[in-house]
Amino acid sequence: MDFQMASFITSGLLVVIGLYGVFFVDNVLKKIIALEILGSGVNLALIAIGYNGGTIPIKLPNVPLNVFAKESAYPLTHALVLTNIVIEASMLAVMLGVSIILYKKYKTLKGSVILKED
Amino acid sequence: MNFLPMIIVFPLIMAIIMNLLHGKEKAVKYLTFATAIILIALPFIGEYGYYYFSGHGVVDGWISGIAYLYNPAKQAVIITLSLIASLVLITGMGEKLKNNMFVTLSLMGFASISAIVLADDIFNLYVFFEIISIVQAGLVFLSGTEEAYKAGLRYMIIGSVAAALMLLGITFLLASTGTLNISDMKHHLLTDNPMVYGGLLLLIVGLAYGSGLPPFHNIKADLYARSKGFISAMLQTYSKFVLVGLMLIILKLFNGLSYFSSAHAVLIALGVLAMVFGVVMALLQSDYKKLLAYHAISQGGYVATGLALGTPLGIVAGIFHAINHVIYKSALFLGAYIVSCKRGSNLHKLGGLLPLMPYVAFMVLCAKLAISGVPPFNGFQSKWMLAEAAMQVNMPEIAIIMIIVSIGTFVSMMKAFYLIYLKPVDEETLKEYQGKEVPKLAVFSLFVLTALCIIIGLDPSLITNYLWDYAREIGVNYCLK
Repeated sequence: MDFQMASFITSGLLVVIGLYGVFFVDNVLKKIIALEILGSGVNLALIAIGYNGGTIPIKLPNVPLNVFAKESAYPLTHALVLTNIVIEASMLAVMLGVSIILYKKYKTLKGSVILKED
Repeated sequence: MNFLPMIIVFPLIMAIIMNLLHGKEKAVKYLTFATAIILIALPFIGEYGYYYFSGHGVVDGWISGIAYLYNPAKQAVIITLSLIASLVLITGMGEKLKNNMFVTLSLMGFASISAIVLADDIFNLYVFFEIISIVQAGLVFLSGTEEAYKAGLRYMIIGSVAAALMLLGITFLLASTGTLNISDMKHHLLTDNPMVYGGLLLLIVGLAYGSGLPPFHNIKADLYARSKGFISAMLQTYSKFVLVGLMLIILKLFNGLSYFSSAHAVLIALGVLAMVFGVVMALLQSDYKKLLAYHAISQGGYVATGLALGTPLGIVAGIFHAINHVIYKSALFLGAYIVSCKRGSNLHKLGGLLPLMPYVAFMVLCAKLAISGVPPFNGFQSKWMLAEAAMQVNMPEIAIIMIIVSIGTFVSMMKAFYLIYLKPVDEETLKEYQGKEVPKLAVFSLFVLTALCIIIGLDPSLITNYLWDYAREIGVNYCLK
């Protein structure tokens, strides 16, 4: 099994674990942790499709551009993952803030209590 | 020089400035008014065609960098969006909630919806898709009640799942085509490998979440019902235009390919289910804002069905219905806001408001007739076009369902009108009503929207002239059976 295939299998496992955690675990904090795991799985898949056996996609000053383009991995996916990490962090911050507010109100983090529709 | 990116950059800059003006109510008020005026002018300063960021353009036949595409159909959508946004901002000036946060969030929402509609780059679209879900949750948190926090948190948790799945779909499409640009990607999708299927289905998950189609209709309706009336007007505008933007991108990528016919069935089924679920849930509600929220879901189903047919007439009817819907539903939500200033929004505790505000009652009645599809209002024109489009692809049963759902809409709307304006009440309640003022800015916005309902109803070519070219470009004529 080569490196790329192993990354795909790992990311699939992470996505499945994340989906299980979001829908079947009854604790808001654990739900949010599961969301992060799901997001990491997607990020890993995104990086793995750009991997072609090359080096890290950072252009050092003493490497000419055509050599860099031949030797490195696909840099676009890395840029996308950086953007996605920033977005995920901001979502996470807002969700944690709101769950603190709801915890102060109900004194519990059970999803069946503080996410209940009425 | 092309000023197209100002549609997105100007509201973002104003949002940052507003965020810094915390606590300075007067400065926020004047600046909000100026911004609301400028927003109306924004759609007219861009030129039609492609815009490439940082001057990259086309390199060796591949489009490099982020690109925006502007054309008359997108212009019509953004004109409507800026009109509703500026009316809602003007209405919000009279309200004493944390004013600068409201203005900041709605300007960020305006910028992200314009970016979703304009984007010709699928990752740029994903970034703004995530921003819009934070913005919608934030707008709900502003009302500060416990139910609002619950609804917002639920929306964000489901939203993170849907957005992660959508990013996985974008990953699949990137892996099978090697590009992120939508116009480029179109040429590389001709083969039907399972990865492309997966990408399409995961994009549909994102679409259903962003626009409140089933199975996400409940959390979306909850979101509308928990916020203040004029904020709900803004929220439902956002989700209708997310629907239009994403659906146009799915059609542009896949329409006309042989394996898209099965996905057609999925999209049409989602639209029809949203129509029926929305109206059935609306008939059961006793809270006026919840009733309107479920109607917003139901009308979203009409838009999705029209666009999913994929023929030029269907696409024109879908976008036209989205534009009409945001106009009359915003009028209805503003009416609900005016009523809730008097005495809550529980239908069984209201009544007898007709002699106190006859003009408001008349304008709300106009909007109610428009949503039920009665001529000569704008809802009639677009629903007629939708039924025609369904007949054209040889699916008369969809047209019949549309008519039945319209009747359900009419019944529940008239029930609400009787309970709020006509039902007789006792002396005490009348005294309570007279002690509370009607927000004048909201009445002004309501008047503008109702006038638009009648004008578009009398001359639908005002809007449809903008839409035909783009619809012919991405639509494909065929019979579904």
